[in-house]
Amino acid sequence: MTDRILLAEVLVAAPLAVAVIVACLPRRWTTALAVGGAAVTGALAVTVSGLALADAAHPRVGSWIALDAAGGLLVGVIGLVGLVSVLISPAYLATATSSLVADGRRATFYYVLVNVFWAALLAVPLAGNLGTAWLLVEATTAASALLVGFSGSARALEAGWKYLILTSLGLGIALLGIVLLAAGTPGGGLGALTWRTLPTYAGDPSTALVAYLLLLVGLAAKIGWAPVHNWLPDAHSQAPAPVSALLSAALLPAVLLVAWRCEQGLAPVIGQTTARNVLIGFGLASVAVAVPFLARQLAWKRLLAYSSLEHMGVIALGIGFGSPLALAGVAVHLTAHAVAKTLGFVVVTPLLAHRPSAAREAVTGIGGSRPVLAAGMGVCLGTLSGLPPSPIFVSELLIIAGGFQAGRPWIAGATALLLALAFLGLSRSLLETTAWNTSADAPEHERTAALPGLRAAGALAAVSTVVLVALVGVSAWLPATDLVDAFLKGVS
Amino acid sequence: MTGPAWVLLGLGLLVVVVQRRTLALGAVSAQVLVLVGLAFADAGDLHEFAATGALAVRGTVLAVVFGLLISRTRDSRPVAHPLKPLLRGALAVGLGLALTWLVPPIGLADRTAEPVVLCLVAFGLLVAATSRATIVQVLGVLLVENGMSLAALQLPGSSWMIELGVAVDVILIALVAGIFHERIFVEFGAGDSAALRSLRD
Repeated sequence: MTDRILLAEVLVAAPLAVAVIVACLPRRWTTALAVGGAAVTGALAVTVSGLALADAAHPRVGSWIALDAAGGLLVGVIGLVGLVSVLISPAYLATATSSLVADGRRATFYYVLVNVFWAALLAVPLAGNLGTAWLLVEATTAASALLVGFSGSARALEAGWKYLILTSLGLGIALLGIVLLAAGTPGGGLGALTWRTLPTYAGDPSTALVAYLLLLVGLAAKIGWAPVHNWLPDAHSQAPAPVSALLSAALLPAVLLVAWRCEQGLAPVIGQTTARNVLIGFGLASVAVAVPFLARQLAWKRLLAYSSLEHMGVIALGIGFGSPLALAGVAVHLTAHAVAKTLGFVVVTPLLAHRPSAAREAVTGIGGSRPVLAAGMGVCLGTLSGLPPSPIFVSELLIIAGGFQAGRPWIAGATALLLALAFLGLSRSLLETTAWNTSADAPEHERTAALPGLRAAGALAAVSTVVLVALVGVSAWLPATDLVDAFLKGVS
Repeated sequence: MTGPAWVLLGLGLLVVVVQRRTLALGAVSAQVLVLVGLAFADAGDLHEFAATGALAVRGTVLAVVFGLLISRTRDSRPVAHPLKPLLRGALAVGLGLALTWLVPPIGLADRTAEPVVLCLVAFGLLVAATSRATIVQVLGVLLVENGMSLAALQLPGSSWMIELGVAVDVILIALVAGIFHERIFVEFGAGDSAALRSLRD
């Protein structure tokens, strides 16, 4: 037990150590140190994740650290998304023309912030205490807001400001919920709110319900659930592409796990149906709000942002259904979303070099001029849209089936309808982006000029395809495993 | 704690109605002073003194940093608030009363602190949501945090590590907001959030 917890602590310390080293050593070593450090952190994350998932029936829970199956899965996802983000960062920095700091310090500033953000992200699923989880989520805001505004452009400043103010206010509201719970929890104080003591809340259940609502409304602002999602498309579209990948594929699910743990902890006090209904409400609202935007012609990164809104809604629905099939679907969905979204943001750097207008408007006909780029975008959009037989198609089926299994046929039906509409919207983008024009339309120089980050995007598209195919296999096997029981039990 | 509670409430309402950024900053900083006094009076062991010290450091750092920021980013014309002072005062009181009515008893050690906590949260939300001046929006967030600090002081039991962590987090968030405010001032010529409306679908 001690070894696993110790390893988790080392994992969180690793990116912090890299940040300090990068800040202190000469600039010529910055990139090598950041990439080397990321490899170590990524390997540690995969190890911790593997240990937690291999022994999912025996979660390790202390006052400050908890490592269970869901946390283990998230740590693995965050570790790998962070690793890819750092690996593609040199290509991004090579194309960056402006930043919040002077040119000479740009890379150092960037890698320090990315590593601090990554450390906070890795710590969120490991937090054993609601108070600690809140602190870590707030810490992610401080680091990531500067990254959102990293380019220093007027639009990036606008996006960063909205993100900072909206999520800080949301977390202030969540803190009020935590205070309400702390006042009625044996032991008292914010530190007493471990995941295992939440079900022992001794105060009035109506106070617990208000606290739960405040917590979820506050966290929703950070997860990007509708109707408090306004910062999401702006931040995703203005942040550097590697940071957008971390925001979308790592931050949102990590905070969602905190909401899930709150639901698991407080369901015995306020009633399981009530607790799950709140999640279902946020889930349905998020998917419904995302659908019209997914049907529109949007700039690539904004399209991916609205897709995040949709998929965080789908995951909320899966958790809200809470049945074994739905939770198996959630695990697959979360992983497949992370793979596809990371790939989607990795292609941004070569895409913007190829078509600078893609920053502000929808791109069409990439397949005619850049087949490798189109392949990456196609795998990304095909997966995110739930195109059969992608793992997201399977996970959405599992979640809808889980809704029926949980005795919620009307909500499952509404979910299926909304997801079908979202699929139609994204399918249109998929067709127009990858296959609308013929190669004859593209000028010769457009097809042959070297693009920064294109090789990485091509390689990641290939690796992602293999992982996504493997996930389809996993999703067929997962519902019958002990892992789903572990997700159901959480840290209890 | 009836006296300090009224002082905290009055200072909170002052942040809502005043136009000048320096006055709003003064009111938020004075609130922290009152909170430090309350915390110091209740502190019984080393950990609680440490948490009190963290609160004092937070108040001092933010007062100095935001004071410097205000002096470095003087608007040629004050950024007008879209609502008249009387109207926003009435809205704040109404929102505070609504929150007090909606939220069941919290269970703080001193029951008179509960409505004050909720009113400060309501005032902070209103300031952050309705103000155009970027620095005043941040002061709205700090008003909410001051309400939370009062609640933390009145919680049964102590969790000084979390309270220290909250103080550090609030300082970090406010410093990042300060960096953004200064850059927004340079880019747009005013610390006015009304200028931040180019990103829409």
